[in-house]
Amino acid sequence: MGGVEVTDNKDIRLNIGRSVFENPVFLASGPAGYGLEYINYIDMRKLGGVVTKTISFEPRAGNPGVRLQETPSGLLNSIGLENVGAELFFREKMALLASAGIKLVISLAAEDWDDYRRLIGYVAERDNIEIVELNLSCPNVERGGMAVGTDPDLLGKYVRLAKELLPETDILAKLTPNVRDIGGLALAAEEAGADGITAINTIVGMDIDLSSSKPVFKRVRAGLSGPAIRPVALDAVWKISRTVKIPVIGVGGISSVDDALKFFMAGAAGIQIGTAIFYDPGLPERIIERLETGGIPSRIEYLTGKTERIEDGGKAGDNSGAGCREQG
Amino acid sequence: MSLMNRPYFRTRIAENTRLSPSACKIVFERPEGFADAFPGQFISIRVSEVTVPLLRRPFGIMDLSSTGISALIKVIGPGSSILAAKRAGEEVEIAGPLGGVPFDRPGGEGVVFVAGGTGLGPVIFCARSWKRENISCKTHLFIGAQTKEELLDGLYRDDFSFIYSATIDGSAGYKGNIVELLEKEIDKGGIPSELLYSCGPKAMVRALVDRTGSKFKNHYTSLESVMGCSLGACRGCTVPAIEDGKKVMRSVCLEGTVFNSEAIDWEEWK
Repeated sequence: MGGVEVTDNKDIRLNIGRSVFENPVFLASGPAGYGLEYINYIDMRKLGGVVTKTISFEPRAGNPGVRLQETPSGLLNSIGLENVGAELFFREKMALLASAGIKLVISLAAEDWDDYRRLIGYVAERDNIEIVELNLSCPNVERGGMAVGTDPDLLGKYVRLAKELLPETDILAKLTPNVRDIGGLALAAEEAGADGITAINTIVGMDIDLSSSKPVFKRVRAGLSGPAIRPVALDAVWKISRTVKIPVIGVGGISSVDDALKFFMAGAAGIQIGTAIFYDPGLPERIIERLETGGIPSRIEYLTGKTERIEDGGKAGDNSGAGCREQG
Repeated sequence: MSLMNRPYFRTRIAENTRLSPSACKIVFERPEGFADAFPGQFISIRVSEVTVPLLRRPFGIMDLSSTGISALIKVIGPGSSILAAKRAGEEVEIAGPLGGVPFDRPGGEGVVFVAGGTGLGPVIFCARSWKRENISCKTHLFIGAQTKEELLDGLYRDDFSFIYSATIDGSAGYKGNIVELLEKEIDKGGIPSELLYSCGPKAMVRALVDRTGSKFKNHYTSLESVMGCSLGACRGCTVPAIEDGKKVMRSVCLEGTVFNSEAIDWEEWK
């Protein structure tokens, strides 16, 4: 932490739309389940919030076969959005979570447009849904998921519907890195009214079982998370935060306090911890303690001093040149 | 770290005893606050301070005393080999006890255990726990291994009423696999048919279900799986099951580790 300046700004609250969080550190959607499972491990009330496991309208059994495979500093998963469904979640789990004092961001996903309308319509009938995260980027489901999250027009359409039907709720759009231009997608979400961007979802990967000469996962491809993807996530946050004005929540491989600081320096307004809680559940609280004592580190200066936005809006993005061209 | 009695701990290795070329017994100092455990529960060990390997590794509890937690470690990959190389005095992080469903206490004429690999650990814990509770039921252990030295027979000689062993290379006991030996002993007679407890690799448990399933009134099995959170949250360690005629996914870490073998959807779980 030596080189990171200590800022005077000790107010570490985070605003997303009208939502205010005591600090900018969240548990990411997925690893922590609904939040309740980790209640003896992490002091949830100290967190900025917990992003729930993704909820779909109908319950989902998730994917068959192997669901987890470790890789060097990474983890491939093919869970397939197993969840109890909207009705059970909102009827039972919500109240338990609220009574435990957990500040929730509810993650939502759908299979197609009709399913999405139904889900958002259902959420619209519930009271006190402060903020949701649209998971338009899961690589582990047959339909919906990444297909929506890779098309800026479709992404915009989904975000607009949520803004329209949930006028009292703030909307985070969670983006996939499996695209040529994540900045363009972020811009599409912002223009559709999103209150913030979460980046990134897992990176598509696969593995092969040598003993059977078959793919490890039944769906063949799976989602990679963990420290292995951290530089990719950091780069995405860097790009997005220079493309949109709304807050960016960085997620992907954060596994130390120093990692977290880098995300803020790259332009994140908040961060989420996912895979790391499997092996280091104390990490989110250590990050919060560091931010409380040292403040949130300032964004680093743009290397060339230029602050131009990426203007191609997802049409002809540039991932191939490691972002060199967009820096001019 | 205030407020809660958190079930994860930094502790030290009290002893690490090599039992065979591929196995060792590690005793961890029991940290203050580590709850009493029941057979079938496990601890999750962070074997490295860096991120290779990334995940904590689950190991069945082999025994628990007021001062120590012991586990049987078989070297099968990078995680277990790092752990097996650790010496007394080294610090590690463990979480536990974990696992939601215990082995039921037995009644009646006796119980048959079948153990393979690290599955021996929980089976030993079960036999010892019942002895301490003065449950006077006959225990029959069927233990299989590749070779004589991998049977680790010094570890459990006094824990069971009867021990039947099989080795693949024929260096001790029956030559062949443990499921064949169990079938032969059942045919001979004298093996109680009420309760079978198995703990070991999936292939072993599957063979038991296929070949001896009809011979026992109840077969409970403590399953192994790669785990993410070990708490039932991430849904990474699920097995397909059938409950009330419905297909469901059940987590090994929380909704197990012990399952009625009839509840597992073996058709689905390839």
